[in-house]
Amino acid sequence: MPRPGAVIEVDRNTPPVLFHFGEGIRLEKMPLGARIVYPPDPLEPIAHPERAIKRALAKPLEDDPLKSLLRRGMKMTIAFDDLSLPLPPMAAPDVRQLVMEEVIDMAAEAGIDDLHIIAALGLHRRMTEDEVRHIVGERIFTTFHPDRLYQHDGEDLENNVYVGKTAQGEEVTLNRRAAESDLVIYVNLTLVPMDGGHKSMSTGLASFRSIRAHHNAKTLLASRSYMNPPDSALHQSCIRQGQLIEDTVRVFHIETTVNNHAFPAVANFMQKRETDWTPQDQAMFLATKQMTDIMPPAFKRNVFHAMRAPYGMTAVHAGQVDAVHDKTLEAVRKQINVPVEGQTDIVTLGVPYLGPYNINAPMNPILVVCMGLGYLFNFYRNKPVLRKGGVLILTHPCRYEFDAVQHPSYIDYYDEVLADTKDPIEIEKKYEIRFAEDPWFRQLYRKSHAYHGIHPHYAWIWAAHAMEHAGDIIFVGADRDVVHRLGFKCATTLDDAFEMAEQTVGRYPSVTHLRTPPIMLADVEA
Amino acid sequence: MIADALGGKTILVTGSTGFLGKSIVEKCLRSIPDIARINLAIRSSARRPAAERLEREVLSSPAFKRLKGDLGEEGFTKLARAKLDVVEIDLGRDGLGLTDQGRERLRACDVVIHSAAAVEFDNPADLSAQTNLMGAARLVEALKASGARPHLVHVSTAYVGGMLRGLVREEPPLDPGLNWRHEAEVLTNLRGPVEEESRRPEILTRLRREARSRMGPAGTPAVARTTERLRDRWVKERLIERGRVHANAMGFSDIYSFTKAMAEQAVVELHGDIPLSIVRPSIIESALDEPFGGWLEGFRMAEPLILAFGRNILRDFSGLPDALLDIIPADFVVNTVLAVAANPPPDARPRVYHAASGSRNPLRLRRVADEAGTYFTEHPLRDRYGQAIGTPSWTFPTRQEIATRARTALRVVEAAQWVVERLPLGANVTQLSDDLSAERDRLDRGLNLIQLYGVYTEVDCIFDTRNVMSLWEKTPAAERKKFPFDPALYDWSHYFQNVHFPTVVRMSRAETAARRGKQPSGSTAPKAESSSVRSAIERRSGRGDVLAVFDVDGTLVETNVVEYYLWMRLRAQPLEEWPSFMARMLRKGPRWLYLERRSRAEFQRSFYREYDGLDPEVMRGLGREALDAVTLRRIYPEGMRRIREHKRAGHRVLLLTGALDLVVEPLAELLDVEVDCAHLLVRDGRLTGDLQSPPPAGEARGALLEEYASRNGVALAESFAYADSLSDLPMLELVGTPVAVNPDARLSQMAGQRGWRIERWRMAPGNWRLPMPDPRSPEYLEAVRR
Repeated sequence: MPRPGAVIEVDRNTPPVLFHFGEGIRLEKMPLGARIVYPPDPLEPIAHPERAIKRALAKPLEDDPLKSLLRRGMKMTIAFDDLSLPLPPMAAPDVRQLVMEEVIDMAAEAGIDDLHIIAALGLHRRMTEDEVRHIVGERIFTTFHPDRLYQHDGEDLENNVYVGKTAQGEEVTLNRRAAESDLVIYVNLTLVPMDGGHKSMSTGLASFRSIRAHHNAKTLLASRSYMNPPDSALHQSCIRQGQLIEDTVRVFHIETTVNNHAFPAVANFMQKRETDWTPQDQAMFLATKQMTDIMPPAFKRNVFHAMRAPYGMTAVHAGQVDAVHDKTLEAVRKQINVPVEGQTDIVTLGVPYLGPYNINAPMNPILVVCMGLGYLFNFYRNKPVLRKGGVLILTHPCRYEFDAVQHPSYIDYYDEVLADTKDPIEIEKKYEIRFAEDPWFRQLYRKSHAYHGIHPHYAWIWAAHAMEHAGDIIFVGADRDVVHRLGFKCATTLDDAFEMAEQTVGRYPSVTHLRTPPIMLADVEA
Repeated sequence: MIADALGGKTILVTGSTGFLGKSIVEKCLRSIPDIARINLAIRSSARRPAAERLEREVLSSPAFKRLKGDLGEEGFTKLARAKLDVVEIDLGRDGLGLTDQGRERLRACDVVIHSAAAVEFDNPADLSAQTNLMGAARLVEALKASGARPHLVHVSTAYVGGMLRGLVREEPPLDPGLNWRHEAEVLTNLRGPVEEESRRPEILTRLRREARSRMGPAGTPAVARTTERLRDRWVKERLIERGRVHANAMGFSDIYSFTKAMAEQAVVELHGDIPLSIVRPSIIESALDEPFGGWLEGFRMAEPLILAFGRNILRDFSGLPDALLDIIPADFVVNTVLAVAANPPPDARPRVYHAASGSRNPLRLRRVADEAGTYFTEHPLRDRYGQAIGTPSWTFPTRQEIATRARTALRVVEAAQWVVERLPLGANVTQLSDDLSAERDRLDRGLNLIQLYGVYTEVDCIFDTRNVMSLWEKTPAAERKKFPFDPALYDWSHYFQNVHFPTVVRMSRAETAARRGKQPSGSTAPKAESSSVRSAIERRSGRGDVLAVFDVDGTLVETNVVEYYLWMRLRAQPLEEWPSFMARMLRKGPRWLYLERRSRAEFQRSFYREYDGLDPEVMRGLGREALDAVTLRRIYPEGMRRIREHKRAGHRVLLLTGALDLVVEPLAELLDVEVDCAHLLVRDGRLTGDLQSPPPAGEARGALLEEYASRNGVALAESFAYADSLSDLPMLELVGTPVAVNPDARLSQMAGQRGWRIERWRMAPGNWRLPMPDPRSPEYLEAVRR
């Protein structure tokens, strides 16, 4: 039986704790009395995923068995989550591959010829062929690529159709192929509670026109947090859009979840609590630390990005979206929730090398903000671990580095927008349309491997809630100019950061360190 | 005495467009109201007729400001019309090119003041001989021929005696045993042989090589123009040198004093019964009081030295610190000339007058340096940061020592520059190269000054002024106030501190006041980025006839044709063949580097041969892949922004590049702009390595742009061009707003000289990687398998 998450108090015998630091790591001594929150250990994966998948397809939730839905000559479309999930990418075979192979076999048996497979990447970047191949597997790739296996294009006017408006006035568009299909099967992988459900279709196969309905500062400030769908305005909006889609297209949803076994054996120490480190883990830690301290960033990046996570599938459900998603969320909660009592004045976080938007690319400053102040901060239920007006301390080198191919619009956003203002609402007023409709970024999104022009803005507003909530935000060990451009403070060491925090939270603050990743969600008691 | 004597007289002034001539005319107009008429001998120049030159070059001079102030604009015009007249006289032609009317005018003159001269010390020999020597001789001949007998006042120089020691008397020149006619001929005829020499194969080849090295990639016409300019300069330098050497050989310090000395001989020999006075001013500097304190025109002898001192360019100076430096304010010279003009010699024996300060009010070199030290300590010049520049303290070593020192330093700097310019580092060494060139300039200028003027600071002679002083004695007290010419009347400290140094600084337009506006506030708040190019784009927004033309390699993308080729070839061959392929490429590297330096076009031609025999379809596919793998990764975000700004402003955008269509067209397609690039010929379904048309480098690039502009109705004068290398010069020259982006050393220099905008665009950090495909990628493996 895997251990649940834990909250321990730092005493004299507590070993120093690991902080992720971009493509590096730091070991920091926490002040006495501080608490460290650890994620639960990885759940036992399902022993025979293929069988579980078959079972799920045969006995769907609130829907007919898949087999009964398949008819010869029908127009069928499979949509799947792109490579922003899971993190790090899963060691082959990816669960999506397993699900899709099963579905495609069934379709073949039913005599369906008109089958398209679409990567539901929304406004994310187009994947490279290698990346698509990794998700769908060699067999599907060679059979369907490139004519029947392709990636969604949210800027293709021809191939996005307007579905309608929700009761709240949110516009909905959908990929034309999906909209015109007799059956759409969505193959999802849910790693965090934010993903899956109606959000899959309503963002993955959508265009800027429909995504801007909920990807805006106002909605995100009303999502506390977007990691807990019942409290998230973002999800309410997605659900309204998803219901409209459900009324238009026949959707069969398949959702999978994996455990939080994010690090391969070589990096096992990242997975484990420091108190559990064996001499072998200690050695690996030392070796990694030495290496990352002296290696040039590009080299470290190559090493880290080559890591594949040995995730194990913990659940698979199929059927009607809401019914499936409830079960999925339950499974995710089981893996990542940690009960935490009360808030503290300071929260510390190590920002790792990887976020959803920088697979095979450096994590640029805006993405650091998105990851640290966006995702990691928002992993809570009820209320943040950080009290309102408290100090958030993050560790990341925050280098001035951008991937020119993946993040061209981020460069302009950093150089021009953030030099002007950092207020998400003001930025939205002044720059949203300009970036969203910039013809060059549109071209790069469609033809190259670039995130959509508006994407840096989404990354930025993902942190809007944290920026509003925290009294002060301090980056440790970061590039000073960059941090100032982002509008935060910079400290050389963690101790200095604590000193700086004193001005806001007084001499003896309460401190929590969230030892993540692996992913966890702080279930803060009300 | 002076005003009376000259009252009712008609005078002729030669050289009235010059500093001294103008001053004389002004003084006559202002202080001799009864003067009948002043004839100004002016030659029509190629650009303007004589009458216009009077307006533009004489009357609009600040010298007349005082008169205009006294009389009002209208009164002045009236006075000028009543008193001034232009006589077309060309001292360069025998008979002065006189018309009948001109001859008549000449005959009517009572006094002729000959102040025309080529006063620079470093004029070419033939020019000095023609102007200074033959000009004077022709004037006297013409006067004789016209039958007039006016009083001729010949303005000479105190240094006609050569480098004498001791007292120099006011006497007609000693006969140095030289025949002025012969000397004039020798000097005048120098140009022919020198011109000829300049066209000798070895010289011309050397000049051409130099031009090539400087401008090679910019194309043949640019190289040819540069060669011709270099040749012109070479001829001029040789003539200057020949003149100087010749003068030195004859015992003179420079060509100016030599030709002036010969002119005196000529005038004395030829004057016959024309009454002749010779005024020999020493070094003329700014006026003490009239028409206003500090009136000066053109940079003369001491000014460059003074500025060099103030700018701390001349860290030391040679000379005898106790040598007399004979300087005389311009208005004192003018008054001396007028006093002499009013007192014609009673007989045919010429009279000589020294307008010099040495005997009455001696000034020593050390004093000048001290005065300059005081002045520039109190009013320091400012460097480009607005900081005060310190002053040097001169130790006065010998001329030889200091020249050797400077020459050595110059050689070191030149050698360093040679090396730097040849490094294949492009924009990375631009800063270093610019610094070196500034240092070389400084040394060059210093050395020049030392060579030219050094000798004057070693002169150990005193100019006798007894004749002048006897005129002064005769001058009644009332006129002494109006026409002061006794050098004992003023104090050097006052002259330097309040008159001369401020004038020199004002004329050089150097900053002495701390920068206007506020001091730096110390605010570290980020400042808004401002670019004059961007505002130019905004100003021309919405104009469809405006074009923005971009070079690609090095301007928009940090790549070159080699890297693309490497990437595409490596992508298409198995890993085990990489080493041998790389070795082949490396072997050819030096040759390509050499060709690149000579001419971009030759390099491209030679390099594109590598494409011989490749499959065009495969290469096209690889080119498309290179877009993501190479181009977009190495792109300059600022360049992309600029292109979009142009497009937003409604301008046409054109990529004009020597890169191959294989790699540029995908980018142009993505950018949705027009493109003009190189295409390879295809024969039997294979690339040939030959180009369909000459590579668009150098002048071909300019021609392409012009052709494009005329075809599409583009207003080039309003257009923009962005480029990084000298080979783009013809293209940049064509447009109204050229922008040098990450210029190489040679283009940077050129852009600096022409005041072009220079911008530095950078790749997004963290994206540089070797132009090599990832050999682990399944995509690569599969491609190779195919």
